[in-house]
Amino acid sequence: MLLLVSIIALPVHIYSTAYMKYDERYSRYFTYLSFFCFSMLALVVVDNLVLFYAFWELVGFSSYLLIGFWFTKDKAVQANKKAFIMNRVGDIGLLSAIIILFTQFHTFDILTLFANKGLIAQSVVNNGLWIAPTGQLPAIWQYIAVAGIFLAVVAKSAQFPLHTWLPDAMEGPTSVSALIHAATMVAAGVFLLGRVYPMFTETELTILACIGCFTAFMAATIALTQNDLKRILAYSTISQLGFMILAMGVGAYASSLFHLATHAFFKCLLFLVAGIVIHQMQHIRDDNDLDIDPQSILYMGGLRKRLPLTFIAAIIGGLALIGLPLTSGYLSKDGILIQAFEWSEGKSVWLKIIPLTALITSWLTAFYVARLIFKVFFGDLRLLNIHPKLKLHLTDGGWQYKLPLALLAVCCLFPLFSFNPFSYEQGWLFKGLNISRITKFESVYHLIIPVLVNVISLVVLYLAYAIYVKQNSFAFSQTGFLYRLSYNQWYIDKIYKRVFVKPVLGFGKACFWFDKNVIDGLIHLLTKLSGYAARLTAWADKYIVDGFLHLIATIVQSIGNFARKFQTGKVQYYLFSMLVIVLLLFILKILI
Amino acid sequence: MITLTDFLVVSVMLFCIGLYMIVSKRNAIQILIGIELILNAAILNLVAFGKHDSVNNSGQIFALFAIVLAAATTAVALAIILNVYRKYKTIDPGKINNLKD
Repeated sequence: MLLLVSIIALPVHIYSTAYMKYDERYSRYFTYLSFFCFSMLALVVVDNLVLFYAFWELVGFSSYLLIGFWFTKDKAVQANKKAFIMNRVGDIGLLSAIIILFTQFHTFDILTLFANKGLIAQSVVNNGLWIAPTGQLPAIWQYIAVAGIFLAVVAKSAQFPLHTWLPDAMEGPTSVSALIHAATMVAAGVFLLGRVYPMFTETELTILACIGCFTAFMAATIALTQNDLKRILAYSTISQLGFMILAMGVGAYASSLFHLATHAFFKCLLFLVAGIVIHQMQHIRDDNDLDIDPQSILYMGGLRKRLPLTFIAAIIGGLALIGLPLTSGYLSKDGILIQAFEWSEGKSVWLKIIPLTALITSWLTAFYVARLIFKVFFGDLRLLNIHPKLKLHLTDGGWQYKLPLALLAVCCLFPLFSFNPFSYEQGWLFKGLNISRITKFESVYHLIIPVLVNVISLVVLYLAYAIYVKQNSFAFSQTGFLYRLSYNQWYIDKIYKRVFVKPVLGFGKACFWFDKNVIDGLIHLLTKLSGYAARLTAWADKYIVDGFLHLIATIVQSIGNFARKFQTGKVQYYLFSMLVIVLLLFILKILI
Repeated sequence: MITLTDFLVVSVMLFCIGLYMIVSKRNAIQILIGIELILNAAILNLVAFGKHDSVNNSGQIFALFAIVLAAATTAVALAIILNVYRKYKTIDPGKINNLKD
């Protein structure tokens, strides 16, 4: 992973120097991008769960910053909020899982916990108790911890039901989408799964496989009908991540991480291609003052002749995504499919659906990739049909564009991963990752699956070619239920809106109303009451307390003034006064 | 025959005249004379009552003492008046009101 992140980040950085050249926040962009790389690399190398969590958060945060990089766009702001909140949901899960693990094992060290003979390996769930060398807890906690990790993976790797943030995250710059939302960050979830893999029991792995399979299938069907170039790629990313999760679920640990690596390359490549195309469309728009969406594939077409290098790169990336032979995608994807089939061997009929769905998904992949490439690169530029008098000067761009494309395209081919282009078991990465879990037995699947996949994929490719380039055969009805289901992304966003967003907003409003009318009212009442009380006190203070004091003061003063009159300083007067008083005393004495 | 009452009447008259002088006169010397009159009234009383005393002539002797003391007091008072005059250039007690608050 360390190598992978660095290798992917390099072309993206080079690409970005050209892509973001005219952006006014150029330096800020690179700050964010480097921040992301730092967090991602640290996430990969840390060996402590708490640190892992911290960098997990930082990765999410930098992704938030980059999605909202063009924060003047309202949609981008909405998208980064959505991504951040959905990631928070997963983070809660991870945090609670870490806390439970610490309670049970008294350590955060990943190696101690998850190594071959680590603490996890020594712990068992027995009789409703989760017993480990360091203590025991009720078994429910094990399930909660697993569910927490599961939630984290689902949120970060955009699996059903928390996948909706990823398509929206495409509001960010395309180079960012390539690095973060296709190659590295979303893979962090799978990576986490890989690190804590020993924790999962058989049943939990099956659930994992179901979710991955369902996500892969759902995202692939959605990708069939989207018109936004980057959205198609985003859904395809979700679909491929679903494959990885599925692989984890069926025990194809090494294949999963292998697919993670190969997927990172070809998806990054495809995104960079998309970036160039979008960039050129933007040029057309700005040069001619058109009001079009530069990301919509409805306006594109015929770019094959104008952007030759981009076209070749797109073809290579697309083939790798479909998983045709001689590409890296073939190696990893067939590995997953074969092992999925091997896994379902001897299981119940219902579980056989999983590998079958995966198979169908890979054909769907072939179809939407073909649709994308044919619509963008073949035929005529549809924009010319609408606005015939356009000035066009399209190029592949400078070496900053070409070099990353070439580099990644080379990485998408088989020799980098395996010298034998038809056998995934020969891949050095696969061997390196393989951890003795795989039971190796030769089966017919090794022969059947690749042939089946590729033959039907080729058929599907031809079909797509017929539909979108020749335009002679049937066109899909655009009103059917399935089409609408797919086009509206299975209505999941709408359901979320209705089920979560609206009640939360309603609750917020209710709280606001309560706050404003009841609590504020209470406070205002209190204010008024205390105001009156204060006024009363002030009045009492002024007239009663002060009045009393003033009265005393006045009395004392008047007595003093009265007494002062005798103090004339004249000796004779004093004597006279004394005489009068003595006489008065005598008179009184006589009278009484 | 001169009775005790006659003495006392004279004495009261002397006392009242002295008191009146002290209160009404505007000259310190005259006030001093008033004080002397009061003293004389008191001495007269001493002599008059001395006749009825069980000890012989004690009243007269006490009177002699009082006269001597009165003379001494007068000397001191005159000295004070002299000093007052030096300071205030007047001996009218009404004008010396430094004791006023």
